[in-house]
Amino acid sequence: MTEEQQAEPVRRVKVVYCGGCNPHIDRSAVADALPADDPDVGPGATVHLSGCPRACASDHLLIMPRSEDDVRGAAGTPHSSDDPPVVVVAGELVDGVPTPAPELAPTITRKLKE
Amino acid sequence: MALKTPEEFRQSIADLHLQIYMFGEKVDDYVNHPVIRPSINCIAMTYELARLPEYEDLMLATSHLTGKKVNRFTHIHQSTDDLSKKVKMQRLLGQKTGSCFQRCVGMDAINALYSVTYETDQARGTQYHERFKNYVQYLQDNDLVADGAMTDPKGDRGLAPHQQPDPDMYLHVVERRDDGIVVRGAKAHQTGACNSHEIIVMPTVAMREGDEDYAVSFSCPANAEGVTYIYGRQSCDTRKLEGNDLDIGNAQFGGQEALMVFDDVFVPWDRVFLCGEIEFSGALVERFAGFHRQSYGGCKVGVGDVLIGAAATAADMNGAAKASHIKDKLIEMTHLNETLFSCGLACSYEGVRMPAGNYQIDMLLANVCKQNITRFPYEIARLAEDIAGGLMVTMPSAQDLADEKIGPIVEKYLVGQCDTPVIDRMRILRLVENLTLGTAAVGYRTESMHGAGSPQAQRIMIARQSNINHKKELAKALAGVGKPWDKGKIKVPTAVSAD
Repeated sequence: MTEEQQAEPVRRVKVVYCGGCNPHIDRSAVADALPADDPDVGPGATVHLSGCPRACASDHLLIMPRSEDDVRGAAGTPHSSDDPPVVVVAGELVDGVPTPAPELAPTITRKLKE
Repeated sequence: MALKTPEEFRQSIADLHLQIYMFGEKVDDYVNHPVIRPSINCIAMTYELARLPEYEDLMLATSHLTGKKVNRFTHIHQSTDDLSKKVKMQRLLGQKTGSCFQRCVGMDAINALYSVTYETDQARGTQYHERFKNYVQYLQDNDLVADGAMTDPKGDRGLAPHQQPDPDMYLHVVERRDDGIVVRGAKAHQTGACNSHEIIVMPTVAMREGDEDYAVSFSCPANAEGVTYIYGRQSCDTRKLEGNDLDIGNAQFGGQEALMVFDDVFVPWDRVFLCGEIEFSGALVERFAGFHRQSYGGCKVGVGDVLIGAAATAADMNGAAKASHIKDKLIEMTHLNETLFSCGLACSYEGVRMPAGNYQIDMLLANVCKQNITRFPYEIARLAEDIAGGLMVTMPSAQDLADEKIGPIVEKYLVGQCDTPVIDRMRILRLVENLTLGTAAVGYRTESMHGAGSPQAQRIMIARQSNINHKKELAKALAGVGKPWDKGKIKVPTAVSAD
């Protein structure tokens, strides 16, 4: 390992990509703009990053369910504060909310810190 | 489980004492009226199949609200599997009825409203979603048919709802009270309206500032005071009044449309699902249309199966089944029909789970599905007419066949393939006529064109989601657009020696 590589910050956000067959957004650019070593982002933070609204990276979920109730479709179930943050991006949607492409990375970052 | 029997359904519709008018007269015994009864038989089939174990996998679903088995027509889709089973159920019912079976609009309405009420509450702090879930459970617990009422008469298409000279061209709120709202207007082309226990009203276009009174969604009983139905005519409908089944083509089943009029109808707040939130009317229209465009990838395919079968049988009865061009036309009809089914399934498999928890179809593929529906059934119908032959529109009547003097002559000259009774040949040709030109053509042809939105509506949605810039970038990258060009490297091709 070179010194330069050793100097690179450890990425605290895990990015799960879709396959990339129909990108409406530049997924790499969004991923690169995410915080690399921000201490406000908790361990285990994950971004499911799909290029289009089909949301393949999150297995077709526009927002990640956190509890068994939510999986059964009881909308509005609060997420547990103990869970690591998970954000779903599907084209110009962040957790199902329309978000213009330039706003994607800032919006994801804000949600990761919530 | 509160699944109704077909008989219970018929009686429950009769008990509503709906205000129905046809041919300028009020129809009191509408469940037994010969023009209306076939359409009631269609919805009765959705109850009948739900009680048969061999169809349970498609016809029933497990309610996410109660955990109980419910008719899929009252279900909120909980997976992509639910979405694809919906399409397969619709194909099944198209096959069993050979016509529009009408119960889909309510199913598509509840699935669209489920996510829109949730998102409206999230954005505006309203309380629509919880009351809507209660309403869905009411539909499920009582196994009810809901009419999804979207299309307003619209008046001058160049004017917004609030700009119309007659404000009733779009259904609107005329009074807000402590206990509810009062609405006035009409909904046109209402499929299955006179077979429904409930009406679910939705706006027909995306509303703008000034249209707040028109951005309204609610439900009411089909027999609410002030609701009147004017029954729509269908091509050849009065053949059902002639007392014989032969010339109808499909005597058991048929579709139904009506003009539904709301004359100052009161709606309590617990049945109001949108009232003035103009920014959510567009999403509601798009989602309902999306679900309904998916639906056509099932129901029209099932009816197509019947038409292909009728054309193939007509070829058998004409003695022409072995002709290669007949075989090829049947292959083409099948290819078109299965392409439609593929679209219905594709938009289902690519569906997504919405923040509200329900599953929604892929919008682009659903619109592609419906765009094909505006074309392929017409080609399938054209090929069916080609195979059937001109006799299907020139045949003598059932009265002629039954006549003591004329009947034997008709029978003599309408003989086709030697082993086929003439009456059976006439029956199958009348079925082709019914599907391509008669009462069922309302559902199979013109409804394929305009139902769930006219072709241009899908093209707008396709354009919006086509991701054309990505396609341009793909082409530019492969063509080398923007790369420097080194003329010095150009060579003249040299011939390769044959040695």
